[in-house]
Amino acid sequence: MELFALYGLNFIYGIATLGLIVLGLAVVFGLLGVMNMAHGEFVMLGAYSVLIVQGQGLPYFLSFPLAVLICGFVGYLVEWSMIRHLYTRPFDTLLATWGIAILIRKTVEVIFGRGYQSVNQTVTGTVDILGVDYPAYRLVVFVCAVTLLVGLFIWYRRSNTGARIKAMIANPELAQAMGINTARLARGTFVFGVCMAGLAGALIAPLVRVEPYMGLDYLLSSFFILVVGGLGTLEGLFIGSSVIGGVDVAVSAFFDKTSGYLAVLVISILFLWLRPEGLYARR
Amino acid sequence: MRAVSILAILGLLVVPFVGDSFMAYQLGLYLLFGIVGQGIALCWGRAGFLPLGQALFFGIGAYISGYALKTYGDSYVALIPFMLLAILIPGILAGIIGALVFSRSVGSGPYFSLITLAVSMVGFQLANSLEWLTGGFNGLTRIPGLPGIDTYETLYFVIVPALALSTLLVAYILRSPFGQLLAAISQNEERAQFFGFKTSSLKALAFGISAAIAGFAGALYAPHQGIVTPQAVGFLLSAELVIWTAVGGRSTLWGPVVGAVVIGFLASELRDIFQYWEIVVALVFIGVVLKFPDGIVGAIASVTTRLRRPVSTADGNRRKQTAPPREQVSETALVFEDIFVQVGPVKILDGLTFSLDEKNITCLIGPNGAGKTSVFNAMTGKLPIRAGNIQWGGTSVTGKQGFEMTRLGIGRKFQVPSVFNDLTISQNIDIAIWSNRLRFTDLFLTSPYSWTSGILKQVEDVFPFLKVSNKKAGDLSQGQRQMLEFAMTIMTEPALLLLDEPCAGLSTAETHEMIGAIEAFNAGGDMTTVIIEHDMQVVERLADKVLVMSQGRLLAEGSVADIKADPAVQAVYGGGTK
Repeated sequence: MELFALYGLNFIYGIATLGLIVLGLAVVFGLLGVMNMAHGEFVMLGAYSVLIVQGQGLPYFLSFPLAVLICGFVGYLVEWSMIRHLYTRPFDTLLATWGIAILIRKTVEVIFGRGYQSVNQTVTGTVDILGVDYPAYRLVVFVCAVTLLVGLFIWYRRSNTGARIKAMIANPELAQAMGINTARLARGTFVFGVCMAGLAGALIAPLVRVEPYMGLDYLLSSFFILVVGGLGTLEGLFIGSSVIGGVDVAVSAFFDKTSGYLAVLVISILFLWLRPEGLYARR
Repeated sequence: MRAVSILAILGLLVVPFVGDSFMAYQLGLYLLFGIVGQGIALCWGRAGFLPLGQALFFGIGAYISGYALKTYGDSYVALIPFMLLAILIPGILAGIIGALVFSRSVGSGPYFSLITLAVSMVGFQLANSLEWLTGGFNGLTRIPGLPGIDTYETLYFVIVPALALSTLLVAYILRSPFGQLLAAISQNEERAQFFGFKTSSLKALAFGISAAIAGFAGALYAPHQGIVTPQAVGFLLSAELVIWTAVGGRSTLWGPVVGAVVIGFLASELRDIFQYWEIVVALVFIGVVLKFPDGIVGAIASVTTRLRRPVSTADGNRRKQTAPPREQVSETALVFEDIFVQVGPVKILDGLTFSLDEKNITCLIGPNGAGKTSVFNAMTGKLPIRAGNIQWGGTSVTGKQGFEMTRLGIGRKFQVPSVFNDLTISQNIDIAIWSNRLRFTDLFLTSPYSWTSGILKQVEDVFPFLKVSNKKAGDLSQGQRQMLEFAMTIMTEPALLLLDEPCAGLSTAETHEMIGAIEAFNAGGDMTTVIIEHDMQVVERLADKVLVMSQGRLLAEGSVADIKADPAVQAVYGGGTK
């Protein structure tokens, strides 16, 4: 029973963190259609902001505003200098953001070095849930992830800005004619997306290995989750995270880590091939 | 271009005598990557789809070659079959992947690229874990060089001819009808399908060829490096190959080679003097993507062609040979039986039934949203049919795809003029002449360029602007593009011609010209024509019979006079309730 509860908790936690990491790409790729190959690098920037904060002896929670600040600044710069010229050239966006990814990765390597960095966990200890001693920090991450996802879901459905974004996606010219400043809205959306990626990075930093190349794994699994789930909706994001996370956990538990990874790849290929609109399509 | 290529190859052969042999050794590796890049350029620059996992095929070639060299390293007799396998296996694998993926959907979106990326990641994982086959994480080590060839001194003189061979092959493909069809597909895949070409197979073939080229380079990589690790099939090498191709020039023959060599040497120079050289490379790469989408060679090429006087490619007289005859289609009877088409909650065709069996002109009219264009779409596989049966010449053609319908003698002109914008008028006409004629072997011969057909003369008489053969189709006016597409459709000599608002967007004079053309080509009485039209003036001039549609059903049929007198039709058009 306890083992069962532990698996259950790990499963739910796994989905929540996946959803958290994908959120930024869901906004940038799912809404704007920008294949942001530097998504993982923004997650990485968020993780390094924890390192900066702790290096200065400041409290952990200050890394969240710092992550948003750094990612917001870099994201703004990237959008302004490159992405805005490329919204209609998907392949070039892919290449340009790949270049940005290398640039960010290498710059971080210059500043912090190639090696792994350890991030201190500030919320330590365990909490008793259903008879299981569960790490308290994982609960924090879980609560933050759910709050963020649900909050964003409600905001996107109810707010004026959400409606404007939907209008811009459906028909940019018409949206412009209706007085929506699509250039600014697109930039705002992009910057928001990469800030979310940074925030996710700051949240998961104490639980993962922090190094300049960490973004690569997050990038690819994020793309696969979006493809499996379907673009442009939070429902799709949730379903995609469940499928990819669930398959990974289940296959890894039965066989080994490599098989889990292969199973995720195979499922992603099947979806890309047979059902590219995903399980929960916008239309 | 040919002179440049020969000079480049000769120049490369001199390198070891001018520079030192280590430099030539390094250059050899970059040239191998350049060969892979040429394959990527064939897919990306010409056919319009981006393969993101090309290292997989390179790596498979390298593993096979490495295994062969380790096992039978002293005899060419035993080695050569393996070297062929190193080319064939990647080629066939890619061909299968391409055929499976491309037949699912029209177009070349990012999904194909992501699939190739994921497949290459699977390859990387397998190369790491299948230790008995690949040597696992450490890879195949201590691979000997090719028998009788010193890796550091003379292997370079094998690599340069290999590059020459790959250049020759890609250049030949680009100039062949196959290459021209790939260009057409990248510009308007659907239109190419409606000339009877199974575009998914052509794209898969291009992908297969590019993978075979990658495998070929990989086969030489194994003796060159003496070691093959999972990195050789991995994601990072795949990405770098694409970067080199993009920086050098994705739509040129030498661009990928230049890209690989320039970045290769830039990196090796910078690596020694400047620790963070990769930042510089990344900046160069971003700059090229933003400012020179055609890459270094592409930018240079466009400058030199601008400096040169425009060459008049007077190819009007290249067509000297009568094209082989098409299979004659003598079908006339088109029958729609109770067709239902529904998309989401909307009933588009709601039990549509009609039949045509005379070689004359039928006009299909009806208010907006009546389902007129959907009739054509249902007939040509663009809309899924939920119930009912479509018969053409007595056999059911329900659910057939566009290219199959074209092969059955059905020609279609779209509502929005769709021609191949970046091809010249003459190249557009080539594709119409090749329609339903080009066999597989013809794809790689030059003879189809000399084909002409009797109907070409007729078409040029009706539309004299088509004789300005080296003008790009995209530079024509809207009206002329409508006429070009009409002319191309006529040149497929269809038994059933479907015209979707052929006069849309035309001036009054052009409309008259178009009506005259439709009349002229129907005068022979060997074609059934269905025209969707709103302009009653056109209908009155052309229609032998009129079908009126409303809300996905047939409302009335008969002569123009019958239709005008029909109270039901008057009600629909007069705005009254049904």
